[in-house]
Amino acid sequence: MAIQAAPEQVQVATKPLLHVQGLTMSYGAGDSENKILNDLNLEVNDGEFVSIVGPSGVGKTTLLRCLSGLVQPRSGTVSVGGEIINGPHRDLAVVFQDYSRSLLPWMTTLENVAFPLQGRGVGKKERNETAEKNLAAVGLAGQGHKYPWEMSGGMQQRVAIARALAYNAKVLLMDEPFASVDAQTRFDLEDLVIDLQSSLGVTIILVTHDIDEALYLADKVIVLAEKPATVVDVIETGFGDHRDQVDTKADPRFVEARARILHRLRDH
Amino acid sequence: MKTSTKSLDWGLTTQRLLAVAALLAIWQVVIWSGTLPSMTPGVAALASSIGAALTSATFWSALAQTMTAAVSGWLIAVAAGTVLGLLIGSVRALDRSTSILIDFGRSFPVLALMPVVIMLLGATAKMETVVVALSCLWPVLVQTIYGARRMDSAVVDTVRIFQIPALLRFRRVLLPSATPFIATGIRISASIAILVAVGVEVLSQTPGIGRQITLAQQDQRWDSAFAYLFFAGLVGWSIASLLNFAEGRILKWNRQTND
Amino acid sequence: MTETALRSAPKLETAARARRRPKAQRVRSRPARIVLDVLQRTWLIVVVFAVWWIATAESTNVFIPSLESILVSLFRDLSNGVIASGAAYSLGNLAAGLLIAVAVGIIGGLILGETKRLREIVDPVIHFFRSIPQAALVPLIIGAFGIGQGPKIYTIAFACMWPVLLNTIDGVLGVEPTIRKFSKVYRIPRGLHFRKVVLPAALPQIVAGVRVALPIGITVMVVSELFAANKGLGFYILNSSATFMVPETWAGALLVGVIGYILSLLFIVLERRILSWYFKSGAK
Repeated sequence: MAIQAAPEQVQVATKPLLHVQGLTMSYGAGDSENKILNDLNLEVNDGEFVSIVGPSGVGKTTLLRCLSGLVQPRSGTVSVGGEIINGPHRDLAVVFQDYSRSLLPWMTTLENVAFPLQGRGVGKKERNETAEKNLAAVGLAGQGHKYPWEMSGGMQQRVAIARALAYNAKVLLMDEPFASVDAQTRFDLEDLVIDLQSSLGVTIILVTHDIDEALYLADKVIVLAEKPATVVDVIETGFGDHRDQVDTKADPRFVEARARILHRLRDH
Repeated sequence: MKTSTKSLDWGLTTQRLLAVAALLAIWQVVIWSGTLPSMTPGVAALASSIGAALTSATFWSALAQTMTAAVSGWLIAVAAGTVLGLLIGSVRALDRSTSILIDFGRSFPVLALMPVVIMLLGATAKMETVVVALSCLWPVLVQTIYGARRMDSAVVDTVRIFQIPALLRFRRVLLPSATPFIATGIRISASIAILVAVGVEVLSQTPGIGRQITLAQQDQRWDSAFAYLFFAGLVGWSIASLLNFAEGRILKWNRQTND
Repeated sequence: MTETALRSAPKLETAARARRRPKAQRVRSRPARIVLDVLQRTWLIVVVFAVWWIATAESTNVFIPSLESILVSLFRDLSNGVIASGAAYSLGNLAAGLLIAVAVGIIGGLILGETKRLREIVDPVIHFFRSIPQAALVPLIIGAFGIGQGPKIYTIAFACMWPVLLNTIDGVLGVEPTIRKFSKVYRIPRGLHFRKVVLPAALPQIVAGVRVALPIGITVMVVSELFAANKGLGFYILNSSATFMVPETWAGALLVGVIGYILSLLFIVLERRILSWYFKSGAK
């Protein structure tokens, strides 16, 4: 239940899987330089579920793009398993916010999920089996023949999650994955992700502007604020594997943590 | 469409036929009133020469000549335009280097080159094919480049994250995402092909529908000139509808996502 | 109809890119970037001209004059006013024809766009007329009405009207339903509704239609003059070729191409002005 105070105190015995050191990112140069991220340090352990929460426009998406290797930071490093990231990496998969645009409309759901495997040279039979299995894992067994545009938003996002799972990366990065679905679907997807994480043991980093979502899902919540973004707080949630949309959110620890994050964000 | 009842559709068809009839009636009244030059044919003369054209060997061979030149020029343009367009559209430096040249080419009225082309190639079917191909190239090229260049940022990110190799990326991502645009280019250029083929025939007296229209007009056979014009329009219209239909069938996913 | 809308897209895209570029690449010094950009965009044209110049310099084929002689005749006839008067005549016809086409196309399109039934009834007729090869009209109209200015203008107008009409219909149909409802709820009078709601909302599509019509107009303009005329750019080309002045024939054809290009550039500038709200709002 420990809610620790400052980022410096978060020390872990095991070597972290993902390590961010002195990450700084800006666009432009000289007078017009726009600093987005300032000297960020993060550690994520193997099998951990980390939420990164912060107000809109604070630079969360930029941070995620740096973590995934889609953009190169100005300075600082991101490393996975001790290996420094300088581009998209085998151990990193991303679930994008914009599921409707990141799924390819000319492919069936199954082909979409199998596509990254095809890129890796996996044979047709094997990659289809893997895709089928992962579709089943997100609750879409036997739906592989459908096209993404024949599905609801929530189902499409499940496909995107299945695709990331099928890629079998060590770290799953999720950028506001549930921001464009309705509340009930959102709860279902949140619970799906929790289940998948505990059954598969995959490491997840999820970016969101929703404090409740961040707290509900994560083992550790990293709070970003200010411009350029800096880490203003790190909270270990300690809710364990079994969470419930009603009970967990009514838990005094949850309420306390939410208040603490809100204070943090207001004070900055 | 599907929801409208059969009787309603019949009503629409009747009204459409009535509209055509009204148009013809107006035409006839204008002829009688004498506002149009005396040579303009009336509805009856027009109908009989349309019928006559259908049984005349001259008409069918002229149609075949026009269609051969139009279709072969169009096919050449489609092949060249797609290949070049995919290449230019996916290589940024090439795209920038060629942009002014392509903007110039697409706004160039190729038919203005006719006297020059006739000097070089003569008033032959080959010349006609070349002019058609030159005119059809631009819409295919421009659309293909745009389609290849336009890839959605989310798709680009996805492809990068999953480290899709170049060839697979081309085959399964770039090509399908550019296909609707290529299809549009192909469709636009098909109408242009007929248009230019007839234009070439009008200007150069290369055998075909266009030449027959000019000949008929010079012989004062105005009714058959109008009949040929009618068929030229009919052919253009059929091709456009046919390609529209085919596009809807083949690119089902695109229509769906646009909804 | 979609083709016209799609056709406009490449331009919109370049506009968006042009806006984005300075922001993303401000890292390198600005003058250096501009020079590099200009070089990258123009080198190929220079190469094409150089190759053409060299390849035709020693040409013995009477039909392929050297680029030098083409340019010499072009500049001679440009400076002695031979071309200028022809160009004024041709472009005047083009302007008049386009104007008629735009007026008729927009009014017709607004009416047809607003009345579903009428639109459905005349739809096949419109598509048939639009499919008639414009060049095939030229001998008929000139044969019936003579080689004067009027018939040429009407042919241009007829050919250019269809894209404007079809795009206007498309634009009217594409007006945001919410905006329509707003207009209804606030009981905007019909005239005002047309002028201030439907027309501006459909304007991007209408302008795209005019852009499609412009090259068609130029083609019909040249074809009508190449077929029979005693004035104009097409006549200059035809006359040169009939009197075996080969460099002049080439010069005339190239000039028409350059004019077509310049007009399309001017149109883009005009479009930016008319539709500045549209581009700025990022509606597309």
